[in-house]
Amino acid sequence: MEHEELDDFERELKVALERRPAPPSLKQRVMVRRGQRRRPRTTVIWMRLAATLLIVALLGGGLRWGLQQREEQRQGEEARRQVMTALRITGRALNQVNSKLAAHNHGGE
Amino acid sequence: MEMQKRLLYLGAIVLCGTAMAAAQDSPLPLPPAVEKELAAKASNVTEVTLGKNMLGFAAKFMNGKDEDEAATRKLIEGLQGIYVREYEFDKEGEYSMEQIEQLRKYFETSEWSPIVRERERKNHETTDVLVKLVNGESQGMFVLEAEPKDLTIVLILGPVKVEDLSRLKGLGGLSSLGDVQKDIKPVKKGGGE
Repeated sequence: MEHEELDDFERELKVALERRPAPPSLKQRVMVRRGQRRRPRTTVIWMRLAATLLIVALLGGGLRWGLQQREEQRQGEEARRQVMTALRITGRALNQVNSKLAAHNHGGE
Repeated sequence: MEMQKRLLYLGAIVLCGTAMAAAQDSPLPLPPAVEKELAAKASNVTEVTLGKNMLGFAAKFMNGKDEDEAATRKLIEGLQGIYVREYEFDKEGEYSMEQIEQLRKYFETSEWSPIVRERERKNHETTDVLVKLVNGESQGMFVLEAEPKDLTIVLILGPVKVEDLSRLKGLGGLSSLGDVQKDIKPVKKGGGE
């Protein structure tokens, strides 16, 4: 009795483990699925690339803006310095005029 | 033939345009030849040319908290331009009185009124202060200060308010302009003349 049970089990196992050829469409289905899985990976790569480019562009833009600001600041300081120089020379000239007029007034008194 | 005429007209228009643009670009309304001659002989030259745009730009960089800078800002914001030339010469006689006369003549127009005119033949010094009056308001100032070894030309175009200039205490003589105006008696000739 016990021996018969074991035979049945062996038979079932044999059937289960029997080598069967793969259905002809399996390879194609596997390839299709593989393709489908790869597509999202490509998208991720593109997204990463786009993000990198965006960061590079932002950094570049920020750097350029910073340099422009710095250059504008330098030019502004130079213009301010020139205004002060011009007014200092004007002041000196007017001071001399004033001194001469004062001297004349003293001379006339 | 017609094409040649058109090209000639076009050339003439371009030339006129260039000449007009050059005239407008000329920063200082002084005879350029004199300016160049003076600069060539001077041992030290200071040239400051600031048009309206540049003055506006400079005003942006003036600290409103500093009293002098705030006053300077107020003064320059309305101006059309500031042109300053300062020439220092190693020895006397490097520039001629004819050159000075050329500069002076440039401003001998009806809109420029002399407020100070001084000639000291003994020391070879001349001083001219002219004010541009438009509808009774001061719209410019020209200062020509000639000493044997120094020559200073100052031209300020635009509404020059004496009270604004007088506020610039930190800039030495500018505050003295108020005194100059007070001292002025109509055209003053001193010394030699």
